[in-house]
Amino acid sequence: MSQLISRSDLTAWINALLAEYTVIAPTKVDSLALYQPVKRADDIFMDFGITALSPKEWLFPPTETLFTITTQDGTMKLEAPPLDGKNLIFAIRPCDARGFRLLDKVFLAPPADTHYAQRRQNTTLIGLACSKALPQCFCTSVGGAPNDASDVDVLLTEVEEGYLVNIVTEKGQAAVAQAKLIEKDVTPPSPPNLKPVSTEGIVEATLRAYNDDYWERLADRCTHCNVCAFVCPACYCFDVRDHINQGKTERLRCWDSCQAPGFTRVAGGYTPRPTKGARLRQRFGHKLLYYPQQYGDLLCVGCGRCIASCPVNIDIREVMEDLQKLGVKSVSARA
Amino acid sequence: MSLLAPERPITNPFLPYLATVKGVTQLTPDIKLFNLELDDPEVREGFDYRPGQFAFVSAFGVGEAPFGLVSLPHWKAGVEFALRRVGTVTRALHDLEPGAKVGVRGPYGNYFPLEDYRGKNILIIGGGIGMAPLRPVIRTILERRPDYGDLTIINGARSPQDLVFADEFDSWATAPRTRLELTVDRGDDNWSGQVALIPSVVQELKPSPANAVAILCGPPIMIKFTLARLKELCFADAQIVTTLEAKMKCGMGRCMRCNIGDKFVCADGPVFTFEQISHLLEPF
Ligand code: SF4
Ligand code: SF4
Repeated sequence: MSQLISRSDLTAWINALLAEYTVIAPTKVDSLALYQPVKRADDIFMDFGITALSPKEWLFPPTETLFTITTQDGTMKLEAPPLDGKNLIFAIRPCDARGFRLLDKVFLAPPADTHYAQRRQNTTLIGLACSKALPQCFCTSVGGAPNDASDVDVLLTEVEEGYLVNIVTEKGQAAVAQAKLIEKDVTPPSPPNLKPVSTEGIVEATLRAYNDDYWERLADRCTHCNVCAFVCPACYCFDVRDHINQGKTERLRCWDSCQAPGFTRVAGGYTPRPTKGARLRQRFGHKLLYYPQQYGDLLCVGCGRCIASCPVNIDIREVMEDLQKLGVKSVSARA
Repeated sequence: MSLLAPERPITNPFLPYLATVKGVTQLTPDIKLFNLELDDPEVREGFDYRPGQFAFVSAFGVGEAPFGLVSLPHWKAGVEFALRRVGTVTRALHDLEPGAKVGVRGPYGNYFPLEDYRGKNILIIGGGIGMAPLRPVIRTILERRPDYGDLTIINGARSPQDLVFADEFDSWATAPRTRLELTVDRGDDNWSGQVALIPSVVQELKPSPANAVAILCGPPIMIKFTLARLKELCFADAQIVTTLEAKMKCGMGRCMRCNIGDKFVCADGPVFTFEQISHLLEPF
């Protein structure tokens, strides 16, 4: 027996959730699908495929105040903003939810990042299984699946009669308290088939190809537009800077990208990664070598956003394939 | 799930300690020594660190940047940084007068394993501002002089005015079994010392690698040629130690700016032996 919610009861449930949570869900903003806070269930755009940006920004915002700096009667005070609101991300894709698992390893390791940790603790993830795959999708090759429930609190799967409701965690249990669920014998649809991408030995292959001129060749067409980093649910490079606005001084954290030419430039002008090749090697080195060595997973969930967004068609699947071939070539050349 | 549900509220790791500028000493035309007192007495008491570690100093409204700690905690006389006026943060800090408020976040990173160097001859080579993080190393050895073998200090700078910690030279040079070699690239009318580049001084001096550790810090070009001279003298990579600099935004291995391949200057360093450096994937 499975738990099921009808389409009309889903609407009622979402409207009930709105009383308790800030509900962040896919909406249509001009021609783009984006996760935004909604006011009512009708605002939600369910046929979104994949959103232009991942919902990463709701736990790790593009710009956030780490603390404000105020001086009153000669006394300086540093204060972090309160982050106690309860959020619920509705219809998050399994790949994007897996992105949070990857960010958790970075931001929740001691000393935990208070901003991320508080938002993480106060956010419930209601997943939506994918009924079809897009050409750029490859989640199954990097540890995920279109119906993977392991990183969400509740997983919804669309069926003819409405949505199957798989409650995964206690947080999920609390969120469905107000949902009208019915027990029914429904066979879940089989997930879409994805074209596999080989990741076998990719960590070693990246290391072997480290000093190959491949990176400069690949980077030749990169425009360092930074889009690949900003759309990615797993990228987390950031900048910390002060900002004064109308007499208010704040220390901000902002998204950054390792593809930006000045990313590693130190005071005085020295830049350890002066070429586009060195910077692109940092991007793929981080995803395929450094992060896996440190945390055990590839820093990619196969959402395909960078592939779809890159203006010059740099494709991580092709990069992995190239690296594997290069590795083999250099090994056989040495033998 | 325990990480997600802390029992007590966790403290924001980006919040610096407030500190007051107590003293500012002009060390060279572009380097000032800042003496800071941490405002909270409890924090001040507990602020422990070792030679080689660093902390972020905030000029509020401008930003923060990482700098090597150049004092020792048991002096109980404030936290000191030697800052060269070179970027936006150091320019703002240089404009501060005693009494001004700054932020201190740290300490971070590893340190020179001075305990392991007991009984060894120590060769310290510093170029320009590179001498600053070596000052607490020298002072530690001088405070525990019997624990160490011969101490040789080579301190070089562009000109006599650019030598940092000049007011401590006498006490260094007169310590037992200690030799101080000062050198400049260009002398002036008052300079009677050596005019030579650091690598030539090393070549001339021929320090023995036997039971020795060489600690070097300075601009990349100086490191490169000094390293070559030390190797000619048969110093092994594992016997030569340095501290690396990198752009940093967090100090916690997260902002992804200071990694050199798979190693983080902030978390795996900043102190590395050249043996470790020889395994780094990227140039630094
Ligand atoms: S999206 Fe493409 S062009 Fe833009 S920085 Fe990334 S790899 Fe380069
Ligand atoms: S496919 Fe691209 S955007 Fe998506 S997780 Fe992987 S690297 Fe990031």
